[in-house]
Amino acid sequence: MTYLALSNITKEFSGITAVRDFNLSVEKGEFVSFLGPSGCGKTTTLRMIAGFEVPTSGKVTINGADITNKAPNQRNVGMVFQAYALFPNMTVGQNIGYGLRIRRESKDAIKQRVNEMLALIHLEKKGNSFPYQLSGGQQQRVALARALANRPQVLLLDEPLSALDAKIRVSLRAEIRAIQRKLGITAIYVTHDQEEALSISDRIVVMYDGKIEQVGTPFEIYNFPQTAFVANFVGTLNTTAAEVVDPKNRLLRIDGVQLESAEALDGKQKGDKVTIAIRPERFNFIAQERKANVIDCLIDNITFLGSVVRIQLLVGSNRFYMDTFNNPFLELPKIGDKAQISCSREAVLVLKD
Amino acid sequence: MNLPFGWLQFLRKPGTHPAGTTKPSRGKFPLWSWFWYLLGASYFVLPLYATFAFSLQMKRGVLSFEAYTSAFADPAFLQSFGYSIMLAIFTIIVSIILVVPTAYWIRLKLPEARRPVELITLLPFVVPAIILVFGLIRIYSSPITLPFTAQVLLGSLTDSRYGTIILIVGGYCVLGLPYMYRSVDTGMRTVDVRTLTEAAQSLGANWFTIMTQIVLPNVRAALLSGSLLTFAIVIGEVVLASYLAVPAFGPYLFLLGQHRAYEPAALAFISFLLTWAAMGIIQLVTGGQEQGGGVGAH
Repeated sequence: MTYLALSNITKEFSGITAVRDFNLSVEKGEFVSFLGPSGCGKTTTLRMIAGFEVPTSGKVTINGADITNKAPNQRNVGMVFQAYALFPNMTVGQNIGYGLRIRRESKDAIKQRVNEMLALIHLEKKGNSFPYQLSGGQQQRVALARALANRPQVLLLDEPLSALDAKIRVSLRAEIRAIQRKLGITAIYVTHDQEEALSISDRIVVMYDGKIEQVGTPFEIYNFPQTAFVANFVGTLNTTAAEVVDPKNRLLRIDGVQLESAEALDGKQKGDKVTIAIRPERFNFIAQERKANVIDCLIDNITFLGSVVRIQLLVGSNRFYMDTFNNPFLELPKIGDKAQISCSREAVLVLKD
Repeated sequence: MNLPFGWLQFLRKPGTHPAGTTKPSRGKFPLWSWFWYLLGASYFVLPLYATFAFSLQMKRGVLSFEAYTSAFADPAFLQSFGYSIMLAIFTIIVSIILVVPTAYWIRLKLPEARRPVELITLLPFVVPAIILVFGLIRIYSSPITLPFTAQVLLGSLTDSRYGTIILIVGGYCVLGLPYMYRSVDTGMRTVDVRTLTEAAQSLGANWFTIMTQIVLPNVRAALLSGSLLTFAIVIGEVVLASYLAVPAFGPYLFLLGQHRAYEPAALAFISFLLTWAAMGIIQLVTGGQEQGGGVGAH
């Protein structure tokens, strides 16, 4: 059942449309990420849920109640900011208990809840510290605890890990996800980091230019991107123009090479142009004779990336990437060698226009 | 920064030595640095020392604090000083009431108004106080009526004591505006008051709570800084006080200088000490806030 719903949301700033016709339904307890480049409207959408921006048109409902025009302090929505936004004049404990003090809860209730939250974020001994005495990661955990202390209906996280270094980012995102699962709270997470979105989310909303490009599970978004933007934005992908050779048998051609796709080419005619996409890890060097999707290529470059070796290939005028696991006992071709690679029918994705 | 003369190298920021050059050895005494530092300091300190030394020579051939005793014994001194302190307190209160919500609202909702408002706050540097006071006298010395009627909206402010106080406090607010506005605005930027406001809102706080529990406590150092600078301006101000004929400390000091020699020097030295004390307090308080302030990562 839908818990948080955004219906036909549009937001304009001085004639510029930041978000257009945004529709999304989120289940209770779901963790949804808004993923996209800067300026795609993901933060604006989040701020409309929080109440910091009012939609130009459309409706926001939580648990069936229309909150579109409610003030931010009337929504009971927790928010975690990129810049932590801890109150510098208050201790960690006072920061966490601030929302409860505003609600005029009893001192004992506040103390108990603050202790619960401190235990949740593993900072039991930092209750009397001031924010400036904590590291960035600790500050963000306190910000999370503060947002959760009020038992909000929805937790909103606006690029909460962007200001932290890589190692802490990875550990803290796992911690955020664990806490969200433990409390069963509905969470919306804004990020421009695809790895972060893929690792943490139940579903991802990929946005571009104020619009939703695709909504799906991380598996769907990565493996079956529906648009050229999603394909290019999420992970590394080989995209190229192809010509439809036989729509019925799903045959395509790139630079004289015939490829077979598993995807239906509905509505396409022979000779139509489409964009196809193939993930680098879906290519293999041919170990045994295959009949379909065999591509002759020239090894252009080889880059060692640790666990993976990335090979740059020239296929006619196209440049493709192929990823293969690093195996010290397997001999790789050399730069300038001719080689044959192949991929399965399922690996050849036909992107929507 | 490639500096042409070796002796200017002390101007280089620490850790910015150009490639290929070696750091000066730690034991080397920075002679030129000290020379320029002492030369600059002497420009300020010597006149102050001269004033102080002169103020001690009221009794011929003896160094004494006679000038200070004499100045403090004058009831007009305490009266004018007390009056100026009162004006300074009123000015600070009115300035805070005007500037804090304005700067806050501009940061929060009207960022496009920042430049025009900054320009307005700089006007006291461009328009001399004499113009301000004549403008004030010209407008507020006669009753202000509704246009085309005889209906009086506001009586003459210069005719009454309280009216004059309102007028001079208004004038002082204008003179202190560059210091107060910039201090408060900088303070709000330092703590990222916009994000703090949104954080407080999301936790259920209303505007009044946000202002009293979040904004004011976090810009207190900026407020103190602006207030002390305003205080220093009001205590030493002469032009507005003279032309509005108020018994303030500035005109008293000026008149004293007309017919006394040593007391004005003593009072000038005390004024310096007061200003320096104010600066010291600002440093002390803002130094502490710099450590604790700010929203972002450390």
